[in-house]
Amino acid sequence: MSLINIKAIARKEFYHLIRDFRSLYLAFIIPLLLIFLFGYALSLDVDNIKTVVVDHDKTPLSRDFIRKLNASSYFHVTNHLIDAQNAIDYLDKGLANMAVVIPSGWTEDIKADRETSLQVLLDGSDPNFAGLSRGYITSFIEEYNRRQLIDFLDRKGKNKIKPPVEGRIRVWFNEDLESRNFIVPGIIAIIIMIVGAILTSLVIAREYENGTMETIRSLPVRGGEFLLGKAIPYFFIGLTDVLVAVFMGQILFGVIMKSSFWLMVLASTIYLWVALSLGLLISIGTKSQLVANQLAILITYLPSLLLSNFVFPVSNMPEFLQMVTYLVPATYFIDILNGLYLRNLGLNHLWPSYLVLMGMFIFLSIMNLVMLKKEGM
Amino acid sequence: MNWLRIREFVRKEFIQLFRDKKNRPLLIIAPLIQLLVFGYVVTTDVRDIKVAFLDQSHTLESRRLIDAFDANRTFRITRFTNQSKELEQALLKRKVDLAVKVGPDFGEHIRRGETAFIQILADGSMSNMAAVRVAYTSLVLDRLNRAFIEELYPEKIEYGKIDARIRTWYNPNLDSRNFYVPGIVAVLIMIITLLFTSMAIIREKEAGTIEQLIVTPLRPIELILSKTIPYIIIAQTQMVMVTIFAIFWFSIPMKGSVLLLFAATVLFLLSTLGIGLFISTVSATQQQAMMTTFFFILPFFMLSGFVFPIANMPTVVQWLTYLNPLRFFLTIIRGIFLKGVGLEVLWPQYLALTVLGLIVFTGAVSRFRKRLD
Repeated sequence: MSLINIKAIARKEFYHLIRDFRSLYLAFIIPLLLIFLFGYALSLDVDNIKTVVVDHDKTPLSRDFIRKLNASSYFHVTNHLIDAQNAIDYLDKGLANMAVVIPSGWTEDIKADRETSLQVLLDGSDPNFAGLSRGYITSFIEEYNRRQLIDFLDRKGKNKIKPPVEGRIRVWFNEDLESRNFIVPGIIAIIIMIVGAILTSLVIAREYENGTMETIRSLPVRGGEFLLGKAIPYFFIGLTDVLVAVFMGQILFGVIMKSSFWLMVLASTIYLWVALSLGLLISIGTKSQLVANQLAILITYLPSLLLSNFVFPVSNMPEFLQMVTYLVPATYFIDILNGLYLRNLGLNHLWPSYLVLMGMFIFLSIMNLVMLKKEGM
Repeated sequence: MNWLRIREFVRKEFIQLFRDKKNRPLLIIAPLIQLLVFGYVVTTDVRDIKVAFLDQSHTLESRRLIDAFDANRTFRITRFTNQSKELEQALLKRKVDLAVKVGPDFGEHIRRGETAFIQILADGSMSNMAAVRVAYTSLVLDRLNRAFIEELYPEKIEYGKIDARIRTWYNPNLDSRNFYVPGIVAVLIMIITLLFTSMAIIREKEAGTIEQLIVTPLRPIELILSKTIPYIIIAQTQMVMVTIFAIFWFSIPMKGSVLLLFAATVLFLLSTLGIGLFISTVSATQQQAMMTTFFFILPFFMLSGFVFPIANMPTVVQWLTYLNPLRFFLTIIRGIFLKGVGLEVLWPQYLALTVLGLIVFTGAVSRFRKRLD
């Protein structure tokens, strides 16, 4: 391996990048845009469920129920409507996410211990939103019930009754339950894939399309040197992107890494090399920029987004796809990021994921060299 | 305009596209793979909450607490431990989602009519799911409380409880699939048309064949049409394919009109093809074109309400989403598939798509023509 050769190839690739100025600055702008969007604009949390109510009962109890509903931090009662049909219109047009219909005679039925029911209509078209809303409304009603019962017993009995069981629920790892805290680290994995794999998937295909691959073959450059030289400029772009993402997450959005910064740099470096070798492999295999690009989106970007435990939990997937997730490098990287960012774990817990990523890198590098050998390098 | 000429050039484009053997599977199989993966993967349902339990009380009451969790389908107690440390480790290593710790005096407190506290630790790392888990946990506790109260004060109860009938509209089983699968086709069409139009033109530029095209009697508008019509055909084919697959494989209900769906696709294509043309006029290399395409695709995707609800976004960003054709297209697709609504509800979206499409497409076309001249 000759350092001079690697440097020469890297410099050539670097000139390509500089000359293609827009590709270069987009390689920085796109990650910034992503971090900014995810940190500032996108959230999976639900805290302001637009609710319309239809009160056929009109008693102190029904009014109290509505008031408490509005006062809870999750629901916001926007309109009082006259009948259920009205409420359905609101749901149809997307003006409300939830409708609560209180039947007439509701209070009397409750006092007489007769079966009575409150109607709750939820807009289920967004399942994440609806799932959260359903959870909140069920537990709101159950808590309201408990309080009612205790009030009732208090009024009858002499002494105050205490609730028998009280759960002190503490949330760990993401104390404020902000989706930003797990999405911003995850986005680093996506950025690395875009810059590392998708951008590099074009670099060797380009040589084939322009016919310059012949020239390179005739140079006294060996396969490994060629690959390293091609990858190095993108490695530096990728690493810069990661650092920018980490600092932006921390400074602008308060997403703070609990564990060691250097472990993060180490993990990003290994993962970046996995991405780079994947991109180069696609490039050698397809020899066409358009195909390489499509393939790179299909086998690097999408799996990193979908099959990596990033937003969509692996435990919900069918068995077969769960197996596939073990092949996706992002799974391990996101596991590491989750450990470093949220759980304050160190190498003693996370070493298996580091090891797997290393293994993937070595395997992909060998594949690359074999492919290049076939091409006569 | 000479349609014969356009037809021949469309044919040329198709031959070029399919001559590359590696392109064929990409155009047909790739959308199906993506549909399958999305269909199976994309759920944020809270189904199986894994619980670790530490019971230091070992009383009838603590047993009832365990049963209360066990009886609830959403919870699954996967491990019992004797040590706090083990409990926390299980949570730390993501073995469980929830850790419940019952102190030694739990049963005694309840029997004395006092409040017994239990400690519950929840893994909050995926906050949206954690919030649901916490809500379900307090639900279990509230129900148990009621049962305890009724037993402790049996003679006094003559008070009914509120029973809610919760019905979820449009998607009764809260199946994530129904939400995401119809939307995928929109995303696929966007990616394919944006990338292929811009890169197909750039490729002619890079290969120098664009000069040859210019010297042919083909007029600019005919050139544009012959470069876009193939992708309109491909996109519509994919739309048909994916719709059939969604209905028959994933059993997604299709409540509205198929015709309206295709009309919306054409309107949406105006925007994406326009942007593709635009990118081809501002890029010199395929790499540039691709990066620029990403610059458009990513915000379109993120700010469309496909995964992240628009209602959660800050107001300024919500305004920005009105410039996003994907947003309107998704609303239409979901409205037609899930709600079965028609033009009477969706006309604003159709209007917006038309206006956006016309502006983008004519703008891109005039820019493209200038470049050619």
